[in-house]
Amino acid sequence: MAASQPLTSRLTYTAEASSSSYSPRRINIANHCPTTDEVSAIILDPGYSSVRAGFAGEDTPKSFVNSHYGVSDAGKFTFGDDAIHNPLAGLDIRNPMSKEGIVEDWDTATQLWEYAITSRLTSFKQSDPRINGLNDPSELAMDIEEVEEGERTLGEHPLLMTETAWNTTKNREKAIEVAMESWGCPAFWLARNSVMAAFGGGKATSLVIDVAPPPPHVQKSPIAGNWLSSQLRSLFSSTEPRVNLVPHFAIASKTAVDAGVPAQATYRKYENKIPDSFRALEEERVLTEFKESVVQVWNGMGRLNTVNANGASNTDYVKTLPGRTFEFPDGANQMWGVERMSVAEGLFDERAALPVPNEPALTKAQTIPEMVRQSLAAVDIDLRPHLLGNVVVTGGTTLINGFTDRLHNELTAMYPGARVKIQAAGLTAERRFGSWIGGSILGSLGTFHQMWISRKEYEEFGVNVVEKRCK
Amino acid sequence: MAAHDVRDMLDLPDSGSSRPAKKQKLTAPRPVLKGLAREVQNLSGDNPIAIVPEVSAFKKKRYGSRKPVAQWEQKPFRNSARDGDPLVLKHWRRKAERLPAPPVGGDGDGDVEMEGAVASQPEEMVEDSTFAKYNVRVNVPEYTEDEYNAKLQNQDWTKLETDHLVGLAYEYDLRWPVIWDRYEPPLPAPDAADSLLGLVLPPRTRTMEELKARYYSVAATMMAERKPPIKMNSAEFNLHEVMSNFNPTIETARKKFAEAAFQRTKEEAREEESLLLELKRILARSDKLNEERRELYARLEAPPSTGNIGIYSSSQGLQQLLQQLMQASKKRKSLLGNEGISPAAGPSQQASFERRDSSSVRESISGPSGSNNKKGPTQGPSERRQLTEEEERIYGVSHHERIGTSGAVFRHERISKPLISKSSVQQTKIANVLVELDIPNRLIMPTVEVGEAYESLLQSINTLLDARKMADKLDGEIKLARQQKEEREKAARLERGEAIEGDEVGNNKTEKEKEREKSVARSVRGGSVARSVRGGSQGHKRSASVLSAASDKSTKKQRR
Repeated sequence: MAASQPLTSRLTYTAEASSSSYSPRRINIANHCPTTDEVSAIILDPGYSSVRAGFAGEDTPKSFVNSHYGVSDAGKFTFGDDAIHNPLAGLDIRNPMSKEGIVEDWDTATQLWEYAITSRLTSFKQSDPRINGLNDPSELAMDIEEVEEGERTLGEHPLLMTETAWNTTKNREKAIEVAMESWGCPAFWLARNSVMAAFGGGKATSLVIDVAPPPPHVQKSPIAGNWLSSQLRSLFSSTEPRVNLVPHFAIASKTAVDAGVPAQATYRKYENKIPDSFRALEEERVLTEFKESVVQVWNGMGRLNTVNANGASNTDYVKTLPGRTFEFPDGANQMWGVERMSVAEGLFDERAALPVPNEPALTKAQTIPEMVRQSLAAVDIDLRPHLLGNVVVTGGTTLINGFTDRLHNELTAMYPGARVKIQAAGLTAERRFGSWIGGSILGSLGTFHQMWISRKEYEEFGVNVVEKRCK
Repeated sequence: MAAHDVRDMLDLPDSGSSRPAKKQKLTAPRPVLKGLAREVQNLSGDNPIAIVPEVSAFKKKRYGSRKPVAQWEQKPFRNSARDGDPLVLKHWRRKAERLPAPPVGGDGDGDVEMEGAVASQPEEMVEDSTFAKYNVRVNVPEYTEDEYNAKLQNQDWTKLETDHLVGLAYEYDLRWPVIWDRYEPPLPAPDAADSLLGLVLPPRTRTMEELKARYYSVAATMMAERKPPIKMNSAEFNLHEVMSNFNPTIETARKKFAEAAFQRTKEEAREEESLLLELKRILARSDKLNEERRELYARLEAPPSTGNIGIYSSSQGLQQLLQQLMQASKKRKSLLGNEGISPAAGPSQQASFERRDSSSVRESISGPSGSNNKKGPTQGPSERRQLTEEEERIYGVSHHERIGTSGAVFRHERISKPLISKSSVQQTKIANVLVELDIPNRLIMPTVEVGEAYESLLQSINTLLDARKMADKLDGEIKLARQQKEEREKAARLERGEAIEGDEVGNNKTEKEKEREKSVARSVRGGSVARSVRGGSQGHKRSASVLSAASDKSTKKQRR
């Protein structure tokens, strides 16, 4: 059962969604849509790279905070993109989450999430209705003292949190403890983020392929956004001329050079050594930029190294295509031809994956098509065509050019008899925040309010109520 | 030119006193079009011409008549679907417009004075969520310990497992894939384990079919227990039928097939697709063929003149006939289309034949009331619904073997005409036998025994007659064969060189005999006779040679 557990959790029971006429796609604010009933619930979707938080019923999270945080020498924590990209001497960059999306450092994670919520959501309070002039002035004479009642972070907001499918019982219990004890939520719910991604795609049952910094949820596999970064690093170290990855903060000035020529830049000197973790974070940003602008997935027929009848492989064809130039922060620039496709080929073809030092080579079972195959094999035959007809693609890495086409090609080649339909949100934000949007839909459904774990239930049954209810 | 100008010109008096006043009122708010001479504008009369678009200038709204801004408030509500849990959430709702009298507060003097009561008021006025009504759960079978022991025992399932399964079914609303995923067989209670000693089996995983079979059998049993199947309404009965007829082996086989179909290779999928396409084309072609055939029949139809012409003898009748003919000719044009659409016309050839018999068009021409009742006879029988097997069971319809397809008959009718035979010859023969046996045609004392005996007698008479017929036939054949044998011997004697004698014999033979020989030979050898005829001149020679050829062949055949 263990093998099928991550997948079948996708079929998670959603009485609240199916018992009403569930119209998921667009969320109508407030009372226009009869299925929604806003209770100003907060949706918190923490991940390895970022924490998303916002009110239920909105279409994008209001608060988007980098999961990395800085710790100064004095032990002071700094959160958020505004603070952590400062090259300070003692600033150590850490992340409370493991790369698998599981919380490792609960104290900091709590602080980080609290920052994500309070910085954008609850601390920005609407001015008191008695003084903002929107209401009947006859009601002005009320007690002002009551305004200060919200000393607890989420005193009046139910909290819906997402988790990975492989979250541990201990972690789940800790989550409800934090929500109830530290934040004082009136109600709490823990939802699987893959299920939420399916909801965000408008499906009640679907096969979710989430390629985002936390690894894909179909089956666990290391390939994901960070894996692609490591592929890029090994690509840079193997190309000729060798690419020297220097992040922006280390560059004082640069001069334009021709393609392929070593960079001529003056580097910034820091008196104190900048921690390696900070440099890694900044390098990651450059890599992200590279991924966004250069990397592409081969989306023609077959695989990149497939040889067609004429004896010419797709690689040869790609070589004839115009490449793309990318200028690194130090001014070095280069034309990227076939490399920009071959670097992402490992997502689909384990033999094309570049070797990454200190990491085991990618196995066949870890590629996306193979994971889909395993997932499908784990479920009942009656469900398989249905799942293939509802493939929801989510996660930032899926935004790489050609990813969806390639996935469709691979799946139709694998299951020629079945109808494969891929549901990929067209908007970047919807793709990146798929699971948050699903949570937003769920949290604003009128029929969901019977599901919340209320404070009273928590007090009555203790922390393990979350195991009993959220399954 | 306005209307009143015309009146002016024609010196007409203003019609009525109130009219012009009204008109002025109407024209007054008409916007003044700029850039257009007044005369041109007047030409349009009461309808303003829209040549120059009106520029809609920003108009200030009058605030005086506007309603006060809608007021919203955060209203607490609870959800009764939460099983009495007092979770109170808040949502924004339009503020009610000045409640006439708060039912609990007693004196509703106004909001300002209610300050003290504000805290307690929401508590009492907490409304229920409008979504609570959507909280529907499935009905799972319930059973007591005794009922389980009496009805639901199964050696493959313990009560603990059954309870677990039913609980899961309730929790996951009968979503079987989820139930199958979450089903973890509970460990037997420790005391049960003790009693079984070493026989504690490791909890086995079960297939979805096993789970379904168990659940459905439990549910069907309990359903029948609560309400006997006879008293169920049709929906309940159907459910009961479906559940009690669940067959896990068939289901497993179906899944196997589905799996095989799912794992088709690309070529197979393509082949299937092309086959489907081919089938579609064939069907389309046969449809087209049928249609053409139907058209042909429609054209070939002979008009069966069944109508009474007496009705057309009057002039009124003739008029009617003319009208019908006109209609018919109109209809003729769309004949094909009508036939295609008509629900009575089946696609098969058989149907089109029937259709031809009860022709719609011709009847409508020949008969006076054709068009009205033409669909009656064809549609009538098809409208009587045939009950399916299931429905017959539900409605308690039973068929008796005694009653044939022709409907109910009195049993005594069988006495009056006991002889049921195909041919009248046979019938008279049977009657003769009966007369011979001194048995009256009609039984005097038709008791059951007598009737049965009589019937068996008839049966044996029948067999007897058959046997006689057979015997006659055989006799005839034997006779024929003997004759043939004689002829053959005769021929053999002729061959043995007794030609002269033979000639004499042959001459002695009458023409009739010759003829018979020939026919026999023909009957023996069939068509080969003609070929073996040599160009002989005399008749007797010819017959001899014919016979010899025939015997040659027959001996050859025997040798073979």
